[in-house]
Amino acid sequence: MTYFSTMGGYIAVASMFLAAPAFAQGYDPMAAMRQPPATMQDGDEAVQLDPELGNLPDTEGAEETYYQCTACHSTAIIKQQRLTDARWDYLWTWMVEDQGMYDPEDGTRETVLSYLKRHFSSEPRPAESEGASD
Amino acid sequence: MLEDNQPRQTGEDSESRNEQPASSARRSFLRTTGLSTLGAMVGMTIPFEGNMPFGVVPVMAQDSGEDLMSGKSGLTLLGDRPLNAETPAHLLDDDVTPYERMFVRMNGLVPQTALDQDAEGWTLAIDGEVETPLELSIDDLKSQFETVTNRLVIECGGNGRAFFNPGASGNQWTTGAVGCPEWTGVRLADVLNKAGIKDSAVYTAHYGNDPHLSGDPDKNPISRGVPIEKALEEGGMIAWEMNGEPIPAFHGFPLRLIVPGYPGSASQKYLTRIWIRDQVHDGAKMTGYSYRLPEHPVAPGTEVPESDMVIMTVMPVKSLITFPETGTEVATGEPTEVRGHAWAGNGDVQAMDVSIDFGQTWQKAELDPAPNLYSWQRWRADVTLPETGYYEVWARATDKDGVMQPPVVPGWNPRGYGNNMQHRIALVAT
Ligand code: HEC
Repeated sequence: MTYFSTMGGYIAVASMFLAAPAFAQGYDPMAAMRQPPATMQDGDEAVQLDPELGNLPDTEGAEETYYQCTACHSTAIIKQQRLTDARWDYLWTWMVEDQGMYDPEDGTRETVLSYLKRHFSSEPRPAESEGASD
Repeated sequence: MLEDNQPRQTGEDSESRNEQPASSARRSFLRTTGLSTLGAMVGMTIPFEGNMPFGVVPVMAQDSGEDLMSGKSGLTLLGDRPLNAETPAHLLDDDVTPYERMFVRMNGLVPQTALDQDAEGWTLAIDGEVETPLELSIDDLKSQFETVTNRLVIECGGNGRAFFNPGASGNQWTTGAVGCPEWTGVRLADVLNKAGIKDSAVYTAHYGNDPHLSGDPDKNPISRGVPIEKALEEGGMIAWEMNGEPIPAFHGFPLRLIVPGYPGSASQKYLTRIWIRDQVHDGAKMTGYSYRLPEHPVAPGTEVPESDMVIMTVMPVKSLITFPETGTEVATGEPTEVRGHAWAGNGDVQAMDVSIDFGQTWQKAELDPAPNLYSWQRWRADVTLPETGYYEVWARATDKDGVMQPPVVPGWNPRGYGNNMQHRIALVAT
């Protein structure tokens, strides 16, 4: 499979620390200082990426997010983010007010925002914080 | 070629997955009712049809410019739509950044005129608070003003955003949203002075012809500006060539404004109009949190009210180690050349230092003078790694006022601008 994912980059780096005893050629000290990868856990369960939904993590709300959010841009800009809950709330408003996103009135907002906050958050995480390793 | 970062999946591989997710019934419903008819509606294949949401029909069938990315070499793709890609540090070693290595930051879609390299009938308007509004063709620019060629750094205001914690929204640039191509065009000040700037002028407002990502013709993807004093200062250009060629589609064909020293977004691509305003410009991405910093320092993660956000102007002092590539093995006890570039938004860099011991001691690097104002400057140093093992080279530039790059990420801000922390590479002495 080849598809775009910056997430893959983070995860590759993270697992290098966990698994590789010596520093591989090409080691980049800057990479260690980046944001941690997306939360690829749902409780105790590891989560997979859904290639049919722009490789969003396949948990509740993935589909709603995909259809709500990819009219103007791909999922790549979403998957790059690690934001506070307040920033996600703000971005929803920014998409609607400044970028012209359709604002559904049927609870989609809540579904999508809770999905975004679950996977693409910088809020302190529960105990599964090392969950991105394999 | 581009390097797509390969995603590593956790849990089972999706290709070996047999069960359908519970939502698949609804999904196929959406597909059949909403999506498969899209191509038929606009009479052509839609490159990203699979990404289109239910009920949305593209207003214009616009190329995102994806095919053009094949002309870029070794860049890391951050996003496919809009296209955003950065350059690994070791590929930025050239004094003049070649096209293949120049990062791509698209706020909207690549205009059809740029994709076709079609400048037929192109005009640039200078209007607003001026004595004589101008409407200039590219030939007018070439014939009425002195042509100049300068190496000017273009750097995204969000370069280094990936290192902010908590995360800051936007493309997660690491160190590679910067380049220093050679631009040919006219001085911005010459053109503005020909129009005659009135005393009432406060700010510039820049416009291009790139479509908004939504395709909505009434929306601008980006329209920024700079204080009139900055626009009249030495350095600003209206360019039609990059590295001796017509400006490539990604970088602003046929005309690009260059306002060096400011965030790259002030250097409007596909330039059609410079409106001189009697107030601070309030166009797309001038307001809210875009290209703004908190007026007062805030703790990481603070929710800063919009009213406390002020426009980001001069870019901070910065440097890169472009040789050798991080992780390279070098001979123990022998001098190894390290080199790179240094630049600052306020003009020439004064000094360059490197450390091989995590910043405990520093040695001076040789620093070449800038070929022109707002070019980056070449620096070089020989480092000798005393025993075998793992080292990091840290690089630190000092601007003309004595301000140095910090070892850690400076002032957190909600959108992650202005990170000028020292660049580090790994060297392994063998
Ligand atoms: C109507 C068009 C549109 C829709 C629909 C849309 N966006 Fe955006 N979005 C934009 C534009 C335009 C940008 C700015 C792109 C850029 O600067 O490269 C953007 C940028 C972003 C960014 C980067 C934010 C930043 O600070 O730079 C994120 C994250 C994002 N969108 C998430 C979403 C999510 C999540 C959804 C669905 C809830 C969504 N978008 C739906 C138009 C849209």
